[in-house]
Amino acid sequence: MEYLLEVKGLTTQFNSKKGPLTVVDHVDFNVKKGEVMGIVGESGCGKSVTSLSILQLLDKAGEIKDGQILFKNINLLKKKEKEMRIIRGKEISMIFQDPMSSLNPVLTIGRQIAEIMEKHEKLPKPMVKKKVISLLNTVGIPRASEIYEEYPHRLSGGMKQRVMIAMAIACNPSLLIADEPTTALDVTIQAQILELLRSLKDELGMSILLITHDLGVVAEMCDRIVVMYAGQVVETADTRTLLRHPKHPYTNGLIQSQPHQSKGERRLKSIPGQVPTPDKFGAGCRFAERCENVMEICSSASPPLVSIDGQSSCRCWLYSDKEEMTI
Amino acid sequence: MANISKTLESLEMQTTLVKKQPSSLKLNFLKEIGSNKRARYSLFFLLLVILIGVFAPLLAPHDPEKPYYEALLHGPSKEHLLGTDSIGRDLLSRLLYGIRATLTAASIAVAITFTIGTFIGLISAYIGGIIDNILMRIMDVLLALPTIVLALAIVAILGPSLANAMIAVGFASIPGFARITRGAALTIKSSGFVEASRSIGSSHSWILLRQFLPNIGGVLLVYTTLFIGVAILDTAALSFIGLGAQPPTPEWGTMLAEGKNYIYQAWWLATFPGLAITSVVFSVNFLGDALRDMFDPKSMGR
Amino acid sequence: MTSKLLEVKGLHKSFPLKNSLFQQKRFVHAVNGVTLELNEGETIGIVGESGCGKSTTGRCILRLIEPTSGEIIFQGKDITKIRKQEMKRFRRDIQMVFQNPMDSMNPKLTVAEIITEPLIAHSIPKEHRYRILKETMELVGLSESQLNRYPHEFSGGQRQRIGIARAITLRPKIVILDEPVSALDVSVQSQILNLLQDLQEELGLSYIFISHDLGVVEHIAHKVGVMYLGELVEFADKDQLFTEPLHPYTKALISAIPKSDPDEVKERIILQGELPSPANPPAGCKFHPRCAHANETCMSLNPILTDVNGRKVACHLYQE
Repeated sequence: MEYLLEVKGLTTQFNSKKGPLTVVDHVDFNVKKGEVMGIVGESGCGKSVTSLSILQLLDKAGEIKDGQILFKNINLLKKKEKEMRIIRGKEISMIFQDPMSSLNPVLTIGRQIAEIMEKHEKLPKPMVKKKVISLLNTVGIPRASEIYEEYPHRLSGGMKQRVMIAMAIACNPSLLIADEPTTALDVTIQAQILELLRSLKDELGMSILLITHDLGVVAEMCDRIVVMYAGQVVETADTRTLLRHPKHPYTNGLIQSQPHQSKGERRLKSIPGQVPTPDKFGAGCRFAERCENVMEICSSASPPLVSIDGQSSCRCWLYSDKEEMTI
Repeated sequence: MANISKTLESLEMQTTLVKKQPSSLKLNFLKEIGSNKRARYSLFFLLLVILIGVFAPLLAPHDPEKPYYEALLHGPSKEHLLGTDSIGRDLLSRLLYGIRATLTAASIAVAITFTIGTFIGLISAYIGGIIDNILMRIMDVLLALPTIVLALAIVAILGPSLANAMIAVGFASIPGFARITRGAALTIKSSGFVEASRSIGSSHSWILLRQFLPNIGGVLLVYTTLFIGVAILDTAALSFIGLGAQPPTPEWGTMLAEGKNYIYQAWWLATFPGLAITSVVFSVNFLGDALRDMFDPKSMGR
Repeated sequence: MTSKLLEVKGLHKSFPLKNSLFQQKRFVHAVNGVTLELNEGETIGIVGESGCGKSTTGRCILRLIEPTSGEIIFQGKDITKIRKQEMKRFRRDIQMVFQNPMDSMNPKLTVAEIITEPLIAHSIPKEHRYRILKETMELVGLSESQLNRYPHEFSGGQRQRIGIARAITLRPKIVILDEPVSALDVSVQSQILNLLQDLQEELGLSYIFISHDLGVVEHIAHKVGVMYLGELVEFADKDQLFTEPLHPYTKALISAIPKSDPDEVKERIILQGELPSPANPPAGCKFHPRCAHANETCMSLNPILTDVNGRKVACHLYQE
């Protein structure tokens, strides 16, 4: 049982007026025990849908068409909704970008966290309150016993995100999925929250699946990174290799387009054009139109995700002849 | 030479630019009405009623004001399909002619409401501050009275007649309409593009006409439609109590009032005008509701 | 060589707070004594966290929000003193690009109508409008075939191009950019930043670039001002500011940017506590509750912005 979570060939479709759109297309990746795995990509690359698919939290329009989601070697897609409800929160929990929309405005902070505990663990009431307050302390909320009685709107954005994290770790989950957890926050608060996540991971020994568009955040947080583009995984590698020696032209372009990478150059390197929408995915490589290394084959056939030296993999015709084994 | 041709070309382009946009928007709108079942059926019914009103002289079997003394209070028969009233006038013919008075009165009333209400609402929202406060407090005071009471007061001053009734109904509805317009305009006022327009230095009238109106047009259309229903009811109500259309003018409210005296002897006299009012008001409201669904703010961004 | 184009002196804006009947009237000091200088062809960046008053500062310069006090001197004239009608003349020279292009454009107007609005507002004769429109579209990299489309038909990056086009149709001297790339993805963000730099060169524009993203500001600005709770705490040349920040807040802010370089070793300063509410700021130096170097002076006395080696900083550490 090397992997805590293994996603194999996950394919998710959304129904639209023009027919089904494949938003997540045969996505493979895994998360080891105790590691932080990052999923990076721009808006519309399917990273959020991937995370929602893992917990089967898609709304009616979305449907998982294919693939396996193995959590502790058990396929979650075979579970009934009732069983999933026990897994959510207790085994795998999730925090979102916008903490306000995930908190109930008419219940006190304490009540909301206590509810989760009462649901998953049968504890007597006074015990629960004690545990909630110690949990609020753990996530760095000052005056925890006062905050226990507060309503969400009285807290700042950073504090709300801390409450969300407290709710997420209430039942000691083995996997925390964090979907853009710091995007809505100021930089100094973001630094605090990232620090908190790092220390919680070590203390509780949980794995984190961190979804973000910010390469800086993954560089600081993650052990390994998955790069997604237009619904597909285009590259996976450990953080150092990926940021130092990116293989896929998209990863390279993404790293180069960050303003602080300009190194005194006046012009930034940028990727021309824009991300195609799911209804415009062609037969070829989805990045071909924007790629500077585009070859003839790129527009006609979609490259497979090939493994490179067993550790990393890349979906690009530049590398696919090196080793023919697809994973 | 080259300059002139360029200028011509640019002028041409500009006119096409200006022309293209509204027509395509209008087309979309009509298409959408067509695709909405409720909107389609109620609009169809209303158009039919209007057409019947217009062609009443051709369709009506009898003169609406001619008494048939041999047929007083006759029930529905072959000769008089919906029966006759106390002085022997043909009810069907009177109903058909009644469309004219009823719908004209309602339309004019709503036109008054729309023009003045939109103006007050827009100005109030746009200027804000003290002007907004004064205008809205006046509206609040007027809103404290039921529309019909306000209309009664106005007719009492102007004197009973159909023309005065529609003016009264039109003015009495202004407070409600102004409030709605103001509410819609306030959301536009806080939007980024109004701020952008101000930063550019556009004039107030430009901002009101080009930034506000196109964006609250949908809401205004919905409420104008709903207000037509109210106006029909209110003018009919004024006529019913004798302050609107004066006999012998065929008008549904007046006819209903005449019918109520004979409700035990001649049920058809009150029933058919009542049904006419109900069905028209019902379909106007139905149309308004369908339009509201179409202009739902959530679907606006598409 | 370079001449002073815009000078902001002691800009102050306070908003009244809604208060209960018998309380004394209280104010939020959103912008508190901000002083800036903008030279021709230059970009100054204003950075700070949410609620620090950076956007309000931008809007005050355009008088979209009326400043409470202070001077804004543009081409030798204090534009806070002139009447609103006269202000229109100056709006031609100072334009603005907003953060959210979708919100700042009327969804019911076409691109052509959006971009020509400034031309109509400033009575540019009809026969020139189309030529200017075409030139501007070319400048920002949009094609003529897109003129009759509506904003929602465009992607985020293209929409921001339209927003920029609208701001430069009148060929202004200053463009105030309020978080122009914050809503965009990285790969598109770099396209827009390049475009802004190209336009600056080609049209000789001066920018006031407001952003919370220090990485972006480091790239595009020549001088940078750091704001905290309505006050300018440091103002310096970009290189000085980023290599050797003086104010403890600037230091913390710079160290908090996550860097994507895995080998960069850096000293991380994690600030304690939260941003205090602007309605109820701490006494003395507003930063002292979160500052590692705070002493008794800081708690009682608010430091003023003073010159330190050719740059400006508001901190007791650098004052005699």
